[in-house]
Amino acid sequence: MRFDSFDHLLRHFAEQSPDAPALRYEKETLSFAEFYDRVRARAEELRGEGKTCLGLLCDGSLDNVVEIFAANLAGLQLVLLDASLESEVLKTLIRYTDVDALWGDEDLKEELALSLMPGVKDGKGKILFFTSGTTERSKAVVLTDHSLCQSAWNGSAKLPLAPEDTLLCLLPLGHVFGFVCGLLWGLSCGSCVALGRGQRHYFDDCAFYRPTAVSVVPLLLGFLVKMRCINPEMKLVLVGAGDCPPALLAAAGAMGLRVSFGYGLTETSSGVAISVKGDPYAMEVCPDDTITIAEDGEILIEAPTCMMQGYYKRPDATRAVLQDGVFHTGDLGMFDEDGLLHITGRKKDMLVLPDGTKIFLPEYESAVMQALGHTELAVTLRDEKPVLVFSGEGDAKAIAGKLRDMMRTLPRGQQITDILMTDEPLPRTATGKIKRWELQQKVSEKA
Amino acid sequence: MTRQEVLDQTRKIIYDSFPDMKDVDLQEDTVINTETAIDSMGFVLVICKLEALFDVRIPERQWKKLQTLGDVVEAIWKRVQ
Repeated sequence: MRFDSFDHLLRHFAEQSPDAPALRYEKETLSFAEFYDRVRARAEELRGEGKTCLGLLCDGSLDNVVEIFAANLAGLQLVLLDASLESEVLKTLIRYTDVDALWGDEDLKEELALSLMPGVKDGKGKILFFTSGTTERSKAVVLTDHSLCQSAWNGSAKLPLAPEDTLLCLLPLGHVFGFVCGLLWGLSCGSCVALGRGQRHYFDDCAFYRPTAVSVVPLLLGFLVKMRCINPEMKLVLVGAGDCPPALLAAAGAMGLRVSFGYGLTETSSGVAISVKGDPYAMEVCPDDTITIAEDGEILIEAPTCMMQGYYKRPDATRAVLQDGVFHTGDLGMFDEDGLLHITGRKKDMLVLPDGTKIFLPEYESAVMQALGHTELAVTLRDEKPVLVFSGEGDAKAIAGKLRDMMRTLPRGQQITDILMTDEPLPRTATGKIKRWELQQKVSEKA
Repeated sequence: MTRQEVLDQTRKIIYDSFPDMKDVDLQEDTVINTETAIDSMGFVLVICKLEALFDVRIPERQWKKLQTLGDVVEAIWKRVQ
C-alpha cells in the first residue's frame, strides 16, 4: 500500500493490525498500536519543547526509531547524523543544518551542545540525510517523509514482504539505504522490523531474531556468508549501496538465499531499480521512476515522487545535478535487450567501497597531497580497498609514516591500505585530469 | 593478568582468525588496517572475540580510534585492570 506520510503509515497499521509486531529490539517487542502510541506521546512532548530542528545521533535503537517518527509528527526538521563521526565533523554538520536540539548519547550531546543553532522556520516534514562517506564538506540531501514513503512503496512493488516476514535492520539509519530498505520497507509492508544491536552483534543477530529478509551492503554480506551467520529462515537478501563481486552473490545463492541487487542514490530517496529475477545485475526500473541513458552513457533519473527537494542551502549544487526534474547520477549504465538496467561504471571522480561508502576523490586526494607535500599522486581501488599511487621519487616508509596521522581520522574502510610507488607519470587527459579508468586498470594488472 | 598476556592473547586471536597472516610479525606498532589482511569486518571479529575472552566492553564509538595492535591491547588492558 502507498502511504503519504509517516503518520499515515503508522495510523494505518495501528488500526488494521494493532497487535502485529512492528519493531523488535533486544528482548522488547512493540506492536503497531504500541509503536504508534509511543510515537504520538513523544511527539506531544517534543511539541511542548518548542524546538524546530532535531539532530539525531543515530544508534539504531528502538528509542532512536521512535524519536525519528515522533519528531516528524511534531513537525520538526530532522537531521540524521552518524554518531561514529569525529566530533569536529559533527559540529560542522550541526551548524550547517541549523540543528537546535540533539538526541542521542548524553556525553556526545554535551560535547556538541555549543554548536547548536537557532533552528529553522520551514522544516516541517523535511528529513536530511548526508551521502555516505560523510565529511565536514558533505552536502545534506533534503528528503521528506512523503518521498521516503514513496520510495518504500516503489521498492516493495518490485520486492514485496509479507506481514509474517521479519526484516533485519543492520545498516545505519543515518544512511538512506539503511533507513528505507532496512526499516521503512518492512514497516510499509506491515512486517516486523528487528533492529540490529550494533556491530558487535553482526555475528549473532540472525540467530537471535530469526529474520526472513535483510538489507546489506556487499561488505556485510561477505562477512555474514563467510562467518556462516545466516539463519535457516532467511529467504531474501537485498544488496545495495556498492558493487558486489559475482563470487559473493554466487556464494549467497548457494546457501539457498534469493539475492536481489538494488541501485539508487540518497538524492532519489534510495532505490530506483531492483533485480527481481535470475541475474542479480539486471535490474528492473521501479514503477515511479523513469531512467534514460545519456549519449555518454550516464544514467539519468526522473523520480517525481521520490526525488530530493535539493541539497540543503546549496542551490548551485542542486542545479548542477538536477535539471527539469532529471537527476544526473554520474554513474554509467546500459539497458539490455530485455530492458533491464546494468551499471557499467562511474563518470564522477568517486570511489564506491564495498560498505557503501563513497570517497570523493578531489577532496580526498587534496588532503593526502597536503599531508605528503606532493601533488603527483592519485587514489584508486585494488581488491576493493583504497590504495595510493605515488608518482615520483620518495621513501615509501616515510610516506606511510606521514599518512598515518591523517588516516587515523578516517573510518577504517576509507583508509589507504597500500602505497604503490611508480616512476611513470600518472595517466592524464589533455586538460590534466587523471584518467581514472586507465589508472584503475594499470593497478589491477599489476596486482 | 599482565599486559603481556593481553598482547599474547590478542596475537593468538588474530593468528587463529586469519590463518593467512601466520607469517606476519605482529608488533605493537603494527597498523591493523594497512599492515595486515584484516578488513573492517575482520576488525569487528577480533574485537568481539577479545571482548568475550576478557569479559570487557569497548564502546563502538571508540573502535575506529584503535589503529595499531598496541591501541587494541591498551584498550583491553585498561578495562581488565
